Amino acid sequence: MFTLPLDTLFVFAASTPIIGWILRKGGAEKLCGVYAIIGLLVSGSMVYNLFLEASKRPVTTSVCDEVYASCLRVDMLSVFMASTFIGIGLLAAVYSIKYMEGEKGIPLYYTLLLSMVGGMVGVAFAGDFFTLFVFWELMCVSSYVLVAFRKRRWESVEAGLKYLLMSAAGSASLLFGLSLIYGLAGTLNFHGLASVLKGVKPNIWLDMASLFLFAGFGIKAAVVPLHTWLPDAYSAAPAPISAILSAVVTETGVYALCRVFFTVFQPLQVQWSMVLAVLSLVTMTFGNITALLQDDLKRLLAYSSIGHIGYMLVGLAVGTQIGLTGTALHIFNHALMKGACFLCVGAFVYRVGVRRLDEIAGIGRRMPFTTIALCVSLFALTGMPPLNGFISELTLFMSSVEAGMTWLGVAIIVNSLFSSGYVLRVVKALLQRREAEGFENVKEAPLLMLTPILVMVFMIVLFGVWPDPVLEFARKAAYALLSMGR
Amino acid sequence: MMPLSHYLAFTFTLYIIGLYCLATKRNMIKLILGIEILINAANANFIVFSANWRAGYVDPLAHSIVIVSIALAGCVSAVALGIIVCAYRHYKTLDVRKLRRMRG
Repeated sequence: MFTLPLDTLFVFAASTPIIGWILRKGGAEKLCGVYAIIGLLVSGSMVYNLFLEASKRPVTTSVCDEVYASCLRVDMLSVFMASTFIGIGLLAAVYSIKYMEGEKGIPLYYTLLLSMVGGMVGVAFAGDFFTLFVFWELMCVSSYVLVAFRKRRWESVEAGLKYLLMSAAGSASLLFGLSLIYGLAGTLNFHGLASVLKGVKPNIWLDMASLFLFAGFGIKAAVVPLHTWLPDAYSAAPAPISAILSAVVTETGVYALCRVFFTVFQPLQVQWSMVLAVLSLVTMTFGNITALLQDDLKRLLAYSSIGHIGYMLVGLAVGTQIGLTGTALHIFNHALMKGACFLCVGAFVYRVGVRRLDEIAGIGRRMPFTTIALCVSLFALTGMPPLNGFISELTLFMSSVEAGMTWLGVAIIVNSLFSSGYVLRVVKALLQRREAEGFENVKEAPLLMLTPILVMVFMIVLFGVWPDPVLEFARKAAYALLSMGR
Repeated sequence: MMPLSHYLAFTFTLYIIGLYCLATKRNMIKLILGIEILINAANANFIVFSANWRAGYVDPLAHSIVIVSIALAGCVSAVALGIIVCAYRHYKTLDVRKLRRMRG
């Protein structure tokens, strides 16, 4: 009904509790994770089929047969985002098998994980704003529960509640913005909106509607000043969930902003360009400078995520094809880098139970593989040359220079310098000779947790040395985005 | 028939009441009520616009949107109330300003 990958995800999400119940009777609750992984694998292979179809022309699945009604529309950008979402979800699910061992309600955890990934893929596939909103809420509701999943700890409950209040208010503002757009155009279909609003001069109602939409998506994308929920939620959630939240959930907000500004509100993009540029400058500078001040490793990574959202907004502000290529590429690369970082920190927490920099100092000698992986992905975050972060940051820099916004490009370079400040601090603490107490019996992370980390690090290096396939894919995605509004 | 602007004034007032509630209230349950008011303002807006296209014609699209959106709002408040129950067990209070144990 909703294209095969989505259907598969929902079938697996709905059947996980039943399978989990049967497995618990048989005493093999662990296998529940394997079932979820199978679901993600099957759905990932179906995305490949969709990729082959969508590379010729966008696939449209009408829920009912009217032109201006709800539908799913899959183009190259949707496939690009969906494969990133499912890939990160898969790696996090593999990691969760060991990490979540011993927690209560494992089947529920995997159900929520699958429905969150399903919600994100749905957002990427949506062909009209209302379908997007429904999948958006699916993603949001499952992520609230996942952040507050370990409800016996005050930390996760507090973070979950803060996250819920901010994000639900954002969704309400989004819905209000949608109602205004409906009032202006009479439809919520992307194609319908693009053709109805094409020749419209920017007026106060259009501005107001886009302001509401921007607030709604901006809260999820953690654009400064709407970012306050993010550090708490990331540091309190279980590590695989922090990885998914940071790597793909915030990027869903960026994706939605792309759709808003490049297909629906084409007349407004020029007007908003400067606003977006200033916001991206503020977001990246704030994120990177605040990250310098953090002692908690997970909070540091969370603030660094805010900084990287700023980089992604550069492409939106520039608005050329190369700029959007940079944004799409950075979404993919950031998913790998930040996912790997959070999973590594999760491995430290799993072994020693602490994550403050001074308490974790010197662990590098006890857990060499995890530490090397963390160092590589942190260096990729600063944009060091042979790694993948360099390619996307270079693309964004080139695009801003080309569009005459050299100051924005300079801001990217200055922010890389800031970020190397905190990265070097973490690396120094991890590798220092003097160990914190109680590390004598610490062993390397279990293999099941190490595998997804090493896969990610391998991809970070691979796509840094050989970026052509992803770059080409991102270029096609940006082209699909720009050609839709015309 | 009343002009559209009257209805719009009503929905915008409702939205502002919701925002005011979110900004000033301390009780967590009242905050959830504030979010519900915001969502209802948006729903009312859809209904207002749906009857506005042609005299005697009501757009069914907007109505289906509103029904689905009511169901979604129900899900969100169910999750919210569940988390509030957990928060009450930890903190023994419903005052949202007491939830400040985390840094930053």
